[in-house]
Amino acid sequence: MKSRPSIFLGIIAIPVSALVFLVPFAFIILTAFKNKQQATLLDFSWPDGFHLWNNIVEVVTTRNWMLLTAFINSTILTVASVTLPVIFAAMVGFVLARRKTRWNGLIEFLILAGLMIPPAVVPTIWLLQGIGLFGKLHGPVLIEVAYGLPFSIILYRAFIATIPRELDEAAIIDGARPFDVFFRIILPLLWPVTVTNIVVQSVGVFNDFTNPLYYLPGNANATVQLTLYNFQSQFNTSYNLLFTNILLITIPPLLVFLFFNRHIVAGMTAGAVKG
Amino acid sequence: MAGLELKSLRKSYGEVEVIKGVDLNVEHGEFVVFVGPSGCGKSTLLRMIAGLEEITGGDLFIGDKLCNDVEPRDRGIAMVFQSYALYPHMSVYDNVGFGLKLAGAPTDVRDRKVREAARILQMEHLLDRKPSQLSGGQRQRVAIGRAIVRQPEVFLFDEPLSNLDAALRVDMRMELSKLHHDTGATMIYVTHDRVEAMTTADKIVVLNAGVVQQVGSPIELYQRPANLFVAGFIGSPKMNFVELTVEKLGPDSVTVSGKDIGPTTVPADPTSLKPGDTVTPGIRPHDLTDQSSGNLVGEVSLVERLGNETNVSLRLPSGAARLAVLDGDHELRIGQSLPLAFAPDRAVIFNKSGIALHRK
Amino acid sequence: MTVLSEAGSALSHGGSRAIRRSPYPGWFFLPAALIYGVLFLAPTFASLYFSLTRWTLFNSTFIGLDNFAQFFREPFLVQGPVNTVLYAAVTSGLKVVLGMLLALLLTSAIMGRGYLRSVVFFPVLVSTVGVGITFTVLMHPTRGMINDTPALFGIKGPGWLVDPRLALFSVALVDVWKGVGPATVIYIAGIVAIPKDYYEAARIDGATKWQNFLYVTLPLSRPATATVIILSFIGGLRTFDLIWAMTRGGPGFASDTIASVIYKQYRAGFYGLSTAGNVVLFVLIGIWSCR
Repeated sequence: MKSRPSIFLGIIAIPVSALVFLVPFAFIILTAFKNKQQATLLDFSWPDGFHLWNNIVEVVTTRNWMLLTAFINSTILTVASVTLPVIFAAMVGFVLARRKTRWNGLIEFLILAGLMIPPAVVPTIWLLQGIGLFGKLHGPVLIEVAYGLPFSIILYRAFIATIPRELDEAAIIDGARPFDVFFRIILPLLWPVTVTNIVVQSVGVFNDFTNPLYYLPGNANATVQLTLYNFQSQFNTSYNLLFTNILLITIPPLLVFLFFNRHIVAGMTAGAVKG
Repeated sequence: MAGLELKSLRKSYGEVEVIKGVDLNVEHGEFVVFVGPSGCGKSTLLRMIAGLEEITGGDLFIGDKLCNDVEPRDRGIAMVFQSYALYPHMSVYDNVGFGLKLAGAPTDVRDRKVREAARILQMEHLLDRKPSQLSGGQRQRVAIGRAIVRQPEVFLFDEPLSNLDAALRVDMRMELSKLHHDTGATMIYVTHDRVEAMTTADKIVVLNAGVVQQVGSPIELYQRPANLFVAGFIGSPKMNFVELTVEKLGPDSVTVSGKDIGPTTVPADPTSLKPGDTVTPGIRPHDLTDQSSGNLVGEVSLVERLGNETNVSLRLPSGAARLAVLDGDHELRIGQSLPLAFAPDRAVIFNKSGIALHRK
Repeated sequence: MTVLSEAGSALSHGGSRAIRRSPYPGWFFLPAALIYGVLFLAPTFASLYFSLTRWTLFNSTFIGLDNFAQFFREPFLVQGPVNTVLYAAVTSGLKVVLGMLLALLLTSAIMGRGYLRSVVFFPVLVSTVGVGITFTVLMHPTRGMINDTPALFGIKGPGWLVDPRLALFSVALVDVWKGVGPATVIYIAGIVAIPKDYYEAARIDGATKWQNFLYVTLPLSRPATATVIILSFIGGLRTFDLIWAMTRGGPGFASDTIASVIYKQYRAGFYGLSTAGNVVLFVLIGIWSCR
């Protein structure tokens, strides 16, 4: 007695969802196609002509190709700060899931604290200045790593707990040293979570605005989110350029979404259930 | 080539002692089965031999080497796990060859040994598959292959057949016996299945609550159980126990009687007994026969007719329930009274603390 | 007896009783602990001290609880904590209700389910600043699209972001628009995990659809509700980017939250005061998660 898809509900839900969720995106796209005069009207109308290419050229070349620099910076920041913690977090998750000591409680508390407590901004800047990493890309890379570790660890620990311990033991009997057990047996088995982890974290870092705002001052180090913020005042009257910028920096997460939709959803629920 | 020697081996987790001083000698080439109810410590003991559990006290010798603090890989052992523990991301070939790879064996040597093991276990056609593409029985073979490729002196099996269905279990049991015969290696095998223990073992070690109850050949354990626990654990259906009073002592026999049984003389060691003591004779259900002259009379409460034999549950005058297995088919009514007899020399007398008093 | 045998075995081993290495080595914690300890824990602990000082980054003067006193005395600063809690409560409340409703809709047999799931989830992936700018434009009091529609009927729409009474809630609505996706996904996972047996048992007991929801779905998706509340409330308390992109705390200080105050004081060079704001937020989250 399986019920057929409800057409009635669908007829209501599809247009409503389109109005609420798709119209804002359509607005971004339409405005990016317009020229300056038409864009200023801020209305939801068909562009008078095809101005997208001109808009892109102008956005990209403005302020000495700043957007291009920003894309490079954002890419470096994202790639570096997402790959580094994969192994580190998996190592912690592995030992945490396998070895019961009286420190586990404290470690788990610190991990949860990292998920919930907002970072202390000014002391962090002070510390970065102290070790000479303030205003350089390395600093924020390490910062994003530190802020991303708790989520990754929780993800990995939950997954490793489902890998039977007998697998480790079989490897030990086979002559594996601790290093071999982790790198040859456990790490390869973590591949699905690793993909999830990388996808979720990279979208997060790429879209991060707050941390670069604090830790990466100056135009030379701007990330894509900062360009948007900087252009917001500069392009105050050129909405076509502002929305072209938004459109351009939305493309990478959009691609990720198209290819890794399932992993993102998996990460959301896995992290959430344990978090 | 190695035997094993366990000297008052102990294991505790914090305050809780789970292995309470085990002494055991295993000869080279013996097939030894650890058997006992779940939680008796049999797996823990096996894992201590493997080196997966720290030894809290006592000494473990494998061959002549003290192995308490030796890494598992250096103990000359191989182990087959209950869940098989095959590496899911590796092919059968790599699973079997993993240990050799870690040991740094040259590729050609490794290849030869893996193929040799595959040939012995008739799984050459499976070498390229992943564990997930194998049936339960095939996984079992791979797990065994992974063990034999290491050419260990001692094989350890932790309930290796419990995940297989009944028919496959019988096949694999015979194959393990054959493997033991062919390799001549020492094997230690943990199971909770008494039939498995009885059919495969040279020597059975019965464990309960972390203490060895008895060590001996299967028949020895069946015929001369050391105590009530072993008597009750080995043999199916379970041995019947009846509480009786000592009437009279002979030079190597005891005459007992009680509410359910008239005076009966049973061969036993009488030295520690005196008339009036309470003892518990044990009689196996298969040793009871229906004879009108029988001195054990009960009321039939349940009949299971299997064709070749008949299981009869009886209620005795004292209210205790007993089981008899009668040869052939018997048409019995529930509620009818049934006299049974038994050969006194098949009964075993246990004293108050449960120790068997076998005739010397 | 026990003592004797143990002493005996210890003797027989002599010095060779080395502790075998655990297969799960403690040093695996090290790289992560180092980064996390230096860049997260150390500043967090340092903030406890610096919040009690007048601080120029180069030297600090201990001034006791003055920063905190100021935080709760100045009217434009007091607004921050109040708004923060209000914002967190509104966003997490709406995310719970809407997330649950959307999840019910998206787990039922409905036409276009795959499309609907994607559409609800997609805003998560767009940059918060981008979303903020887009909605600032859409919420423009006279030219914005959102007010254009009522204007057709001659109704004047509200000044979403310019009305001090509305600004904070307008931002909160956008937050819900962007963040309802994860809440829905969590609820979907929770609802899908409920064994079918319960619904079948309820059907045999003669339960209606509404009773099914009330007595099966709702109680059994409580873990999901707890997760959504925790995540969105803490997220709400910490929100900075959306508020900053849309109102910068304005008009006036009407939509300032602790996070925006921290940034403003940092920009103004009041580092001690800014750090005190951090500690207030920290304590707020601590109290809330210990409740």
